[in-house]
Amino acid sequence: METSLDRLPLGRAARIIAIDWDMLDPAEGRRLRELGLLDGVELTALHRGGLFWRDPLAVAIGRMRIAIRARHAAAIRVAPLDVVPAE
Amino acid sequence: MTTAAPLVALVGNPNAGKSSLFNALTGARQKIANYPGVTVERRSGRASFADGRPIELIDLPGSYSLTPASLDEAVTRDVVLGQQVGDRRPDALIVVVDAGNLDQHLCFALELIDQGLPVVVALNMVDMAARDGLELDAAALAAGLGVPVVATVAVRKRGLDDLVAALDTALRGRVENAASNAAPPVPDQRSLHSRARTLSRAATLAETPVRRWTNAIDRVVLHPVLGFAILLALLFVMFQAVYAWASPFADALEGGIGTVQALVVGAMPDGFLRGLIVEGLLGGVGSVVVFLPQIIILFLFILLLEASGYMTRAAFLMDGLMAKVGLSGRGFIPLLSSFACAIPGIMATRAIPDAQDRLTTILVAPLMTCSARLPVYALIIGAFIPAQSVGGTIIGLQGLVLFGLYLFGIVGALVVALVLRRTVTKGTTAGMMMELPRYQMPRVGDVLLGLWQRAWAFLKRAGTIILATTVVLWLLLTYPKVPEGSSISQVDYSIAGRIASGVEVVVAPIGFNHDIALALIPAMAAREVAVAALATANAVDAGDDEDAVAAALGDTIAGEWSLATALAFLAWFVFAPQCISTIAVTRRETNGWKWPLFMVGYLFALAYVAAGITYWSARALGLG
Repeated sequence: METSLDRLPLGRAARIIAIDWDMLDPAEGRRLRELGLLDGVELTALHRGGLFWRDPLAVAIGRMRIAIRARHAAAIRVAPLDVVPAE
Repeated sequence: MTTAAPLVALVGNPNAGKSSLFNALTGARQKIANYPGVTVERRSGRASFADGRPIELIDLPGSYSLTPASLDEAVTRDVVLGQQVGDRRPDALIVVVDAGNLDQHLCFALELIDQGLPVVVALNMVDMAARDGLELDAAALAAGLGVPVVATVAVRKRGLDDLVAALDTALRGRVENAASNAAPPVPDQRSLHSRARTLSRAATLAETPVRRWTNAIDRVVLHPVLGFAILLALLFVMFQAVYAWASPFADALEGGIGTVQALVVGAMPDGFLRGLIVEGLLGGVGSVVVFLPQIIILFLFILLLEASGYMTRAAFLMDGLMAKVGLSGRGFIPLLSSFACAIPGIMATRAIPDAQDRLTTILVAPLMTCSARLPVYALIIGAFIPAQSVGGTIIGLQGLVLFGLYLFGIVGALVVALVLRRTVTKGTTAGMMMELPRYQMPRVGDVLLGLWQRAWAFLKRAGTIILATTVVLWLLLTYPKVPEGSSISQVDYSIAGRIASGVEVVVAPIGFNHDIALALIPAMAAREVAVAALATANAVDAGDDEDAVAAALGDTIAGEWSLATALAFLAWFVFAPQCISTIAVTRRETNGWKWPLFMVGYLFALAYVAAGITYWSARALGLG
């Protein structure tokens, strides 16, 4: 069941299905691609910045972890993976 | 082949350990300047080949690709492509990649290799990768990339000789003009990433899937409640330490200056020169230099937080809050640096990609309590706030007041940012994307080098701007000499005293006395001069009575000022833009006078109002 990255439960691994580049400005979109956020890539949502706000979101991609805003995450469609990888 | 030392640029992703490698290769032989026209720092230094021939090294700002998203990254692109004004194109590149993050870092490496310059890849931090359960084959990676790859551990100086030898070979084997000046087309990120993944897989002998340590630490320090508590506690410890740890050193420095003053008084006949040296030079500059220990301790914390990888976590935690006022977590690091000094802080805003976000961060940076305000705060707090603990706890009242002043500045900055983002710096909400690097032990050498560079900058300021203004002020205070038998004091009779009387009319409604009006004039040059000015004024007032000269400035002030005045003075300094260098750097960074003038105007208005409110509230509470 598909969802957007900003709604993916923390700790859950997922695969990127599509990214709506129109929701991001060109520079932001390019930086996301440079950081490796591309279709088919697997990632895990790890942390949120605070109790009272959803921003920002820390995501693990491969061996790297990056922080993005919920606004960026909303543009990323993901399909959660069935198997939760062991930490 | 040119006879000059080959120019070699260190280039790579942020967090690849580039600066550590640069420090390890060049030692302390570094030159820090600016690229012409922009204020991006140009760090260069000398290294040498095994046979002693020199290499000119430059450390380029960390970047993700050759398509820049900030001023720093534009410099990296221009240098690599040979389009940077004032620099020739590098003869070779050392591409630094984090061994523990090859999937990501090889993308930029591939793009750089395609530029056609001789390249040596430094497979850096292999020890950290091994700690994370990653075993890599440098030879396989070299075969895949088609360029030499040397495993290095910059912080342990491991692999440096091999790196330099590989560089030597690469330079000897280069084909003249092989690198075309026209950049190849911007590569597609998808194909770069898939090539990077393939190469990284081929070079990986063994791996475990996660960064165990970093994950475990992040679960604690990025916890929505615990993480904030830790951040606040860290900041609190930092400011308590600035106060408590520094005092023995500061006392020793103060004692030393007193001894020198006494020696000069004993060795020289009374006259113009002795007055100039004892009261102008030693008294003025000395009272600023005693704050060197506090500045060093503050920078020690900032450098450690940066080098350990915690600083980006602080940015992560603060981003939500900063987003509320229209800033981004990226602004947290420049603002935190502004606690040391607004000048490096404002310069660090270049890493913020969004123009309006960056401008707002620059405009509020002076509200962060910089180290130059510390002398002023320390003097007033020492004089008026008793050195006792709060309610029998280990928390000192003086430290608590200092913490409060810092907090006051932070809250002020948030409110100002919120207002600015809805009025003069309106624009789209800024984004924030950044890598959260792995945690690591800071390297002692890097931290010491950073501390030295900053302490030296402070001392240079004390030796130039502050020295000049204190001497000029001493002259203004000493002349004309008051006539024999007059009842007017020397300070009131002097030129400075007369100027201050004019200023006093304006600042009297907010509780400022003549001494303060006098101190505010030279404090325009740099805030900490306010302390030197008060010291000079009091030394002059005491004439040749050595006991009075020696008496701590704090005691004098405690006797002469009301508490309401002292508090108003503190409130003034939370906001007042009393630093010519900050105004100058703002002009440079915003390319014109519009924004620095706006900054000065709004800060003076805030300072006046804040001091006024403080003074009259204190009076109303009976603290007058």
